[in-house]
Amino acid sequence: MGFNLTVNGDRLTSAADPATPLVDILREEMHLTGAKPVCREGFCGACLVLLDGEPTPSCLLPAALADGREIRTVEGLAPQGTLNCIQAALEDSDAVQCGMCFPGMVVSLTHLLTTRPDATRDDILMALTGNICRCTGYERIVEATLLALATA
Amino acid sequence: MMSGSPIQNIPVSSRDAPASIYVAPSLAAARDALSEYGPVGAPLAGGTWIMRSPIRHEPLRTHYVAIGRIAELTAVQIESDAIEIGAAVTHAALAAALDDLPEFAGLAAAAGGSANPAIRAMATIGGNLATSEFFAADCVPALLCLDAAVEISGRNDHERIGLADFLAVRSTLAPGRLVTRIILPRARRKTAHVRLPLRRAGDYPVAIVSLSVSVDAANRVQAARIAVGSVEPSARRWPRLEAALIGHPLDAAAAARRAAELADEFVGRDSVDAPAWYRVSVLPGLVRRAVIAALGS
Ligand SMILES: Cc1cc2nc3c(=O)[nH]c(=O)nc-3n(C[C@H](O)[C@@H](O)[C@H](O)COP(=O)(O)OP(=O)(O)OC[C@H]3O[C@@H](n4cnc5c(N)ncnc54)[C@H](O)[C@@H]3O)c2cc1C
Ligand code: FES
Ligand code: FES
Repeated sequence: MGFNLTVNGDRLTSAADPATPLVDILREEMHLTGAKPVCREGFCGACLVLLDGEPTPSCLLPAALADGREIRTVEGLAPQGTLNCIQAALEDSDAVQCGMCFPGMVVSLTHLLTTRPDATRDDILMALTGNICRCTGYERIVEATLLALATA
Repeated sequence: MMSGSPIQNIPVSSRDAPASIYVAPSLAAARDALSEYGPVGAPLAGGTWIMRSPIRHEPLRTHYVAIGRIAELTAVQIESDAIEIGAAVTHAALAAALDDLPEFAGLAAAAGGSANPAIRAMATIGGNLATSEFFAADCVPALLCLDAAVEISGRNDHERIGLADFLAVRSTLAPGRLVTRIILPRARRKTAHVRLPLRRAGDYPVAIVSLSVSVDAANRVQAARIAVGSVEPSARRWPRLEAALIGHPLDAAAAARRAAELADEFVGRDSVDAPAWYRVSVLPGLVRRAVIAALGS
């Protein structure tokens, strides 16, 4: 029995075991290495993807529950190589350091920008509670998000 | 948790994969499947605890019955005398449903402030109550203050028991049975839920204090329920502190002083993220914050 996933608009099948975390299917089978399995515990956010539009840690989603769902990874947020609004703002603000956390940051912030165009600094901090960055101290990420909100 | 256990990247192949995950379309189908699987099966709700089994070096069950898409289990019904919460209601959905009900401010804070936004959209209240090995559950102390009853169903029957009784038996729940609803009577009261995580948010709380009080016209406490979570392996009420508040004006500093006098009845649990004594020592401060929050609610 296989699972049917729609990943970044492509319909794909996987023959993985039902409890295999989605992050492993994305990386090992579909070679989409944007989502990173860093903690595998739901704490760090490096593995976040949009599942039916909602930020979801792909390390905690078993294949059986990804079946039939619409998945968007960070690779699918810059179609034809054009950066989306938050990606461009992060780059312009020189916010990225090692980059490990950024696929998840971009997923959380893309969702925030589309659902909360009126978000405040506090809303941004709350939205990033599940995105851990070991390098930047967050300040430039928050500034970039405020910039993206102001220019969106 | 991140601050406590070593980070491991376990490759797919070494996972102890279960034979099946059955996505149940209805409660009847879930009950049938659980009853057929017996001791080798278990419900899978949000999966936020089950999917971390490899990190805890625990084997997965052979069969899981996914209950997260069952309509009967994902609804919150608000009646004039009680509210009923389906066991598969997520923390985020519960917080949203309670948004304009001030008497449930404590439970809304518990559900809306636990973990992080993405986890709150997955983790369920039933999973929160059923996981006896998870000591830092937020909804458990909040519900202990609300006189919650838990409905447990098997293939052909169901029973309703008080939450404290459920907590005592949850690790030995008979195979095939699952929590289906949590029932809360409505009442005029002030409620609050305060927690101390190591960072401002996102971490497990070191200690939790939940509170529910009714006061008379002169602000004197008529009834009080106070529950402590994450300090001991299971959340429990604090009857001596409840009794000490009754008849006195509701006052944060006075409540904190009584809490400091009575806190030695807790035997904190030691873990990598916080020593036992620390969990107990923060209780008076959390009681003070809880009373301030309740007075504002
Ligand atoms: C990073 C992270 C941080 C977290 N922080 C917090 C926190 O601060 N506070 C907090 O409260 N929670 C927190 N959680 C959530 C925590 O995992 C559990 O409390 C969660 O609520 C379990 O719910 P679930 O639906 O995911 O359960 P699952 O993982 O699906 O199941 C957990 C257990 O409960 C059983 N079960 C599930 N539903 C039922 C049912 N209806 N009847 C009988 N048994 C059932 C399962 O069989 C399993 O044994 C956190 C989770 C993560 C990943
Ligand atoms: S790897 Fe999924 S949240 Fe850290
Ligand atoms: S930039 Fe290195 S972890 Fe965030």
